[in-house]
Amino acid sequence: MPVIGISVKYLNALLKTSLSPEELTETLGQLGCDADEPADIAIYECPQCRVPSEKLSQEEAPRRCVICGHEAESDFPSIGSDKVVRLDLLPARSDLFDPGGLSRALKGYLEIETGLPHYHVETPEIRVEVSPDLSLPQSYRPFIACAVVTMPPLDGLLLRVLMKLQENLHWGIGRNRKLSSIGVYDLDTITPPIFYGAASPTATTFCPLGLSKPMTAAEILEKHPKGIAYAHLLKPLSAYPLLRDSRGQVLSLPPIINSNETKVRIGTTRLFIDVTGITQSDVDKSLNTFITSLSEMGGHVQAVIVRHQDSEKITPDLEAKEIQIHLDKAHKWLGFDLKASDLVRYLERMRLGAHGRSPVYYVKYPVYRADIKHEVDIFEDIAIAHGFANLPLHMVSTMTVGEERAEEKVSQTARQIMLGMGFDEIVSLTLTTEQNHFTKLRLTPGQEHVMLLNSKLSDYNVVRCHLWTGLMESLNKNRRKAVPQKFFELGNAIIYSGEEKIPREERRLAFCIIGPDTGYAEARAVIDTLLKDLRKSGQYKPLEHPTFIGGRAAELTTSDGYKAYLGELHPEILENFGLGFPVALGELTLAQAI
Amino acid sequence: MQVREDQHRLFQLLCQSKQPWDVQELAQQAGMDQPMAMGTVTFAQHEGWVTVSEIERLELIASDDANARVCSELPERQFIYVLQKYGKMALQEVAQEAQKLGLQVNEIIKWGTQRGWLQKQGRELVVSEAGKKITPQLHDDDEKMFRLICDANWRKEKLPEAKGEARIFLDQLPALGIDPERVRELLKNRAELAKIKSRTQRKVTLTDKGRAAIASLSVACEEKNQLTSEDILSGNWKKISLRPYDVTLAAELKHVSKIHPLQKIIQEARQAFLQMGFTEVVSPQAEVSFWDFDALFQPQDHPSRDMQDTFYLKRPKEGPLPDAGLVEKVRQTHQNGGTTGSAGWGYQWKPQEARKMVMRTHTTATTVRALAADPKPPRKVFCVGRVFRNETIDFKHLPEFHQVDGIIIDNSASFCALLGTLREFYRKMGFSEVKFKPSFFPYTEPSADVLVWMPQKKTWLEFGGCGVFRPEVTEPLGCTVPVLAWGLGLERLAMMRYDLNDIRVLYGSDLDWLQEVSLCQ
Repeated sequence: MPVIGISVKYLNALLKTSLSPEELTETLGQLGCDADEPADIAIYECPQCRVPSEKLSQEEAPRRCVICGHEAESDFPSIGSDKVVRLDLLPARSDLFDPGGLSRALKGYLEIETGLPHYHVETPEIRVEVSPDLSLPQSYRPFIACAVVTMPPLDGLLLRVLMKLQENLHWGIGRNRKLSSIGVYDLDTITPPIFYGAASPTATTFCPLGLSKPMTAAEILEKHPKGIAYAHLLKPLSAYPLLRDSRGQVLSLPPIINSNETKVRIGTTRLFIDVTGITQSDVDKSLNTFITSLSEMGGHVQAVIVRHQDSEKITPDLEAKEIQIHLDKAHKWLGFDLKASDLVRYLERMRLGAHGRSPVYYVKYPVYRADIKHEVDIFEDIAIAHGFANLPLHMVSTMTVGEERAEEKVSQTARQIMLGMGFDEIVSLTLTTEQNHFTKLRLTPGQEHVMLLNSKLSDYNVVRCHLWTGLMESLNKNRRKAVPQKFFELGNAIIYSGEEKIPREERRLAFCIIGPDTGYAEARAVIDTLLKDLRKSGQYKPLEHPTFIGGRAAELTTSDGYKAYLGELHPEILENFGLGFPVALGELTLAQAI
Repeated sequence: MQVREDQHRLFQLLCQSKQPWDVQELAQQAGMDQPMAMGTVTFAQHEGWVTVSEIERLELIASDDANARVCSELPERQFIYVLQKYGKMALQEVAQEAQKLGLQVNEIIKWGTQRGWLQKQGRELVVSEAGKKITPQLHDDDEKMFRLICDANWRKEKLPEAKGEARIFLDQLPALGIDPERVRELLKNRAELAKIKSRTQRKVTLTDKGRAAIASLSVACEEKNQLTSEDILSGNWKKISLRPYDVTLAAELKHVSKIHPLQKIIQEARQAFLQMGFTEVVSPQAEVSFWDFDALFQPQDHPSRDMQDTFYLKRPKEGPLPDAGLVEKVRQTHQNGGTTGSAGWGYQWKPQEARKMVMRTHTTATTVRALAADPKPPRKVFCVGRVFRNETIDFKHLPEFHQVDGIIIDNSASFCALLGTLREFYRKMGFSEVKFKPSFFPYTEPSADVLVWMPQKKTWLEFGGCGVFRPEVTEPLGCTVPVLAWGLGLERLAMMRYDLNDIRVLYGSDLDWLQEVSLCQ
């Protein structure tokens, strides 16, 4: 999850308060934000494209620009510092990604300004023409929604806020620009109407953001840092989506990059915003979240006409939505005494509107609350407004009788016996390597173990089908300590049992002894002792097995039908694990777990 | 006055020498064990025969394998040879190489840097000028110092005043040309080599009164240290006087075979829920996506289903879906909310995505299976199990860990009852203060993070999440009452209780740690 830093000074300015970073962090936490400790940041500027970037003050200064790819010999110049509250972003609440959205929620929670926020949208003056090519499979990115937002002249801070919000919405709603991506331009550099069409990758050239050299789309995908990062989104297409104005000036190559000529800069006031994508709902969600947040930071929204071949639409639609809730159900769900009078106050504190008569209420919620799917989502807002700290905690009064699993019961008994015999218990990992699970034990990997597809630890792609590896690793780890040593582990072995079946699991007990005098007899004594105490019996027969010395290993079938193996380890295995004394090892299945 | 034979011997020894005697040496020469000798000395002190002076000395106790470690195998030394070959290495490769050699990366970096052999530069480890000069023959002063401390034979030769004693004290080091402060400094962070323990040495000096009294002592008839079976059976014990011990002396600790510290916590968590009337359930660790994600209303493009975070399986690739009726209900709920009154996620749900096998990412897969198997209230179930995340291994992360999950299916279940139940669970685990913070999970509403107050660290720590299952989860499974659910981590709790900074210790089975750790509670 991305982490963002929100300027304490700016947030206070929006709220018209003077809360300390700690107070803000605490309040945001009560609201449901995942807030970390406040921090100090330093602000740097790229010497080439002048785009500012932020780093924690203890981090090293950047030398490479993520926007234009400029690489410098020395650190980028620092142009200021700030104190920030830090939030781990929650993908479900993209309306809480920026100072605008956060101030809106905080105003409600702190009761500075409550109830449903209203957004005025002025009538459209600008038109966007959409080519039908974008619905074709070879150039598919059919959905677009646009708006014009007039802001106070952008300063460095507002520019950074805008860029961060854009990037985080790309992550939170756009799924890294796949479903939707946002473009922001200085409207004063554009001559409407605007055309959204498809073009061959090599037909048109323009200067991508941060560069003054014209490039074709194909070149951008190969050479520009943003092009390289998102090339996979356009690679399947043969014609790429492109936004141009009436003069043919390129606005952007969605979802990759804007043109340098139309970029927003310090002093820009009129923004043209487009969101393109492959689902209508994500395109609308991105645009609505973005511009309602800008509104909280002083923006005024004007609509845009989006004309398709045979239809016309006016975007954005910022009309609030409505959901019905039932007070009795909220009471039952939350478990505290909720008064009708409190209900409306709580909802308004969460920036919702409500009307109706007990017990049925109609709750109006703003467009950016894309997380609201069901009345239970409103119940959560009620609980947050009430304050989790104020909830009366209790337990269900229904009597139930507990019962433990059979394999846990037998494991407990086996553990007591093993501890009594002087064995130390270990716990080892389920995931292991082919080397440690098979090769070093003189085993050939067979068909009965589960395998991982995508492990980040490239060797760790085997799921254990026996418990010997953990024991051997323990012996290796303690190889320089006094012998004898005795270890055991209780755990599940996971066994693949055929196509499209869920792998079986057996609860097993495995143990080992290392020392100058150990051998088959000792392992046998351990198993016989266990069997006696567990009131089982067993049939032994000789076993030829690559892990054990020939003639010193046995297979056992217990009276309840489970297998056990025991014996003296082959000297080659001792060598493989760096051990200097004989080892006796045994493994007994205690129960079927899955 | 009559004394026992060995006491008599001890007093004679005291008379022979004018120098103060060390109690331990006195005991040795008199053929007594130390507690017995101490008892005699204490008696003599009371009588005014001797004066006893105590001095605190710091003893250096080398660990069993310290000598072997120091001779050839300090991790930074083993690794510097590898690094010399390449000059520098990416940290990722360092991790791989270290694993091959069975070394800990953090130890290599910590000690290599401290000794000036290597440096971290960005994401690389670089050998320094000093590091380049390291050869198997050339040990630096610190290393020699360790060696001298750890090698008892060498000391015998160099330190005749120790009289062949195996023990060595910090105050003897200057005689060996070693700076004790430097040793303290080095061992502060390298406790696996040697520890410094405070010992009290007692010196006994005979008084004039004592000299006179001892001259008139005679030996009593029969005295013994230990009763034999024969003494007891024959009745001979009546004639025997048993020597008193100094019962205040400390004893050596026993080797204990213990339940593994992490298992101890797992068992406590199980007991807590069993006592609260919960039934234990299990589910497969290798699980179908349907139960890990889809049944929990996690959309198929949700970031937590990413290859980055979740282990997908190569064998078996796909698993079985439950009966078609249930699959259809889940499909509709995802797409448009179905009959749950929800708006759904608004996308095309694909059965092939739900069939993909994963290593379960949470034990909520276990409890949701239990809910599907029997959704009728009242029911309380729990499980403790392993869960898996596609992580690399370091001091904070492992690709697998334990969770305790539970659900309550009850007509009177509510969010407040959920929080009350968890407060009770943590109280049973020994933590009296719990608080809850709003959070977000795709399958619960409301959702909360559970924070527990750590009195010794004076801080709140997050141990897990909880919430009321969304109707989009419960209704397709045939459940119409609220279902309370939680998933709590156990490793972090274990690290707190056993005061660990490195999660790997829990799975490392180091015998010294297993012995030293106090199971407590």
